[in-house]
Amino acid sequence: MLGNFSFRVILESLPAFGSGLATTLWLSLIAFAGALAVGIIACALKLQPAKLLQAPAVVFIDAIRATPLLAQLYFLYFGLPRLGIVLPELVVGILALSLNSGAYVAEIIRAGILSIPRGQVEAGISSGMTFGQRMRLVILPQAFKVTIPPLLGQAIVLVKDSALLSLIAVAELTRAGQSLASDRFMPAEAFITTAACYLILYYGLKALAALSARWVGLRPARQDRPA
Amino acid sequence: MMIWQQLQSLVGSYPLALRGLGTTVAVSLIGLLAGSLVGFAMGMLRAGGNRPVRLVIGAWVDLIRGTPFLVQIFLIFFILPEAGIELEAFTAGVIALSNLAACFICEIVAGGIGAVPKGQVEAALASGLSRWQRMRHVVLPQAMRIILPPLVGQYVLLIKDSSVVSAIGLTDLTRVGWLVVQRVPNGLLVFGIIGLGYFIVCYPLLAIARRIERRMGAAHAEVQL
Amino acid sequence: MPKSSCDDATATHPGRHQTVIEFRGVNKWFGPLHVLREVTLDVQPKEVVVVCGPSGSGKSTLIRCINGLETIKSGDLVVDGQRLGDPATDMPRLRTEIGFVFQQFNLYPHKTALQNVTLAPIHVRRTPRAEAEQAGRELLAKVGLADKVDAYPSQLSGGQQQRVAIARSLCMRPKIMLFDEPTSALDPEMISEVLDVMVAVAEEGMTMMVVTHEMGFARKVAQRVVFMDQGSIVEIGPPEEFFSDPKTDRSRAFLSKILHH
Repeated sequence: MLGNFSFRVILESLPAFGSGLATTLWLSLIAFAGALAVGIIACALKLQPAKLLQAPAVVFIDAIRATPLLAQLYFLYFGLPRLGIVLPELVVGILALSLNSGAYVAEIIRAGILSIPRGQVEAGISSGMTFGQRMRLVILPQAFKVTIPPLLGQAIVLVKDSALLSLIAVAELTRAGQSLASDRFMPAEAFITTAACYLILYYGLKALAALSARWVGLRPARQDRPA
Repeated sequence: MMIWQQLQSLVGSYPLALRGLGTTVAVSLIGLLAGSLVGFAMGMLRAGGNRPVRLVIGAWVDLIRGTPFLVQIFLIFFILPEAGIELEAFTAGVIALSNLAACFICEIVAGGIGAVPKGQVEAALASGLSRWQRMRHVVLPQAMRIILPPLVGQYVLLIKDSSVVSAIGLTDLTRVGWLVVQRVPNGLLVFGIIGLGYFIVCYPLLAIARRIERRMGAAHAEVQL
Repeated sequence: MPKSSCDDATATHPGRHQTVIEFRGVNKWFGPLHVLREVTLDVQPKEVVVVCGPSGSGKSTLIRCINGLETIKSGDLVVDGQRLGDPATDMPRLRTEIGFVFQQFNLYPHKTALQNVTLAPIHVRRTPRAEAEQAGRELLAKVGLADKVDAYPSQLSGGQQQRVAIARSLCMRPKIMLFDEPTSALDPEMISEVLDVMVAVAEEGMTMMVVTHEMGFARKVAQRVVFMDQGSIVEIGPPEEFFSDPKTDRSRAFLSKILHH
């Protein structure tokens, strides 16, 4: 079937894959940092009591969540030049990823904050804390712990989403696979290696998520042992 | 004015857009349907089958969840022909999307089944109900309420993922945008409209998912900050 | 009037083994925790045995072993002539002869009271639906819930739910009824309505094992009280004897704690 599967070719292309992998890694890192920034701002806006401030955040998040990333990517890639903004593909790609993941990050943070039981807020109010103190001392520390695992989940999604950047000619991991496939007519070797590289990233991130979950769970919660 | 010419050109692309929309709908519908059927079966096996079955399904699901959908599509489209299976883009896209759907739905279903309180299973067990009877009368009905909100959310994600099949040349809604923007170089306008198309399909589903979740009685009290 | 199919839930079965539940040197561990230590106990047909003891004494684990919700690690457990842990034993079939009432009721929330009661008879014993429903209604009437036949568990109080749970177990016409702290999750004013039903079941001659702290119930219908502590059976005796003249320090300490509420 795949009788001529050539490991030699894979070995020869390892430098190219390595470079693509590295690009994927650091562009994902930058994009995720951007997503955190976007997410925090959008979430803060959405939690404002004033409807006027909420509106842009709501529109942004709903628009992102109801449209495909690829369409968003093309929107920026083909649309920004029209506004006179000419950026290298890499930057457009990172921008698209940041905005896209940012919307999901906003929802994750919001869910984390809302998951804190009302009793906690009431306890804070009863001790005479101001809104700022409640947020800083009671809500955010607890919300932080809760949001780490889903945030890492979103990071995994972002790394997989970065593959789409190959379609606007960014020299990342999937593009390395595409090049090998088209240059040497060896799609099997090319894409299986590509998949394997992504799996390495995936399991690495999952291990990180598991570690963080344990770190989060290690904080002594109320030890309720049934009598 | 340039913009009027562009709009005229866009209106002229109406048939193409319709074809693209039809393809997106077809791929999504078949993919979601097949994926749901297989996904439910996989999920039930994953939750209650014997250990080797659970491990095999778990390994496959992990594989699919750990790699980009784009790469999966390339693998199916470019490699299966080498194995002698001739594929056109539509079939490859549907297979890839169905597989993706099945794996994600499998996890949602298995999670829902696992979330049914153990006391329910014990009560059914204590009455002498067989494993299948337990599943059918006690576990599944209760699991469905837990499964429904994330399931609808997953459907939205899958419809959006269908846009990736444009990468193998399938003329879906996204590819229509890519084709049209070559002639009508106004990315904002063209993909704004494409985005609107997806939005019209996906936003109602998102709203439904949110409503279902609220009706299931989200246990979180709304914290007044 | 046709005899309801759930009426002879309490008839004895001639030709059975004399002892209906037999523990012989039974041991169980939860990880490093030795939960049942060399437990040896016999329960006769029509006998009502109350099991009590402090938290963690293993009393719940004890009765959960009887219908196989927990498995024993060593020793022998024979119930209704069937050996538990033996691969040849047909567990689902054995379970149809054992009724189990849970502390948390565990009624099926998506089914009405009548549907809860008739689910197992219809699907496991293959009783025709009409017959099962008639029997179910009679049982629900017996436990005082004739007007709640079509109510969902969420519409019933705790005491009502537990009575439905008892009716659900009785409708399978079991030979043995097991109760795992049936009133511990109830508000105080609902405890007596459930205990009254349990007394009625006992007075009809059912073999019962009840884990409970309700000593009034024990005094009324129990033939024996089994006191457990840290996995072992410390003392067994008739209720009057156990309450008035406990033989060991541990049982004395336990009694003084619960009788001073």
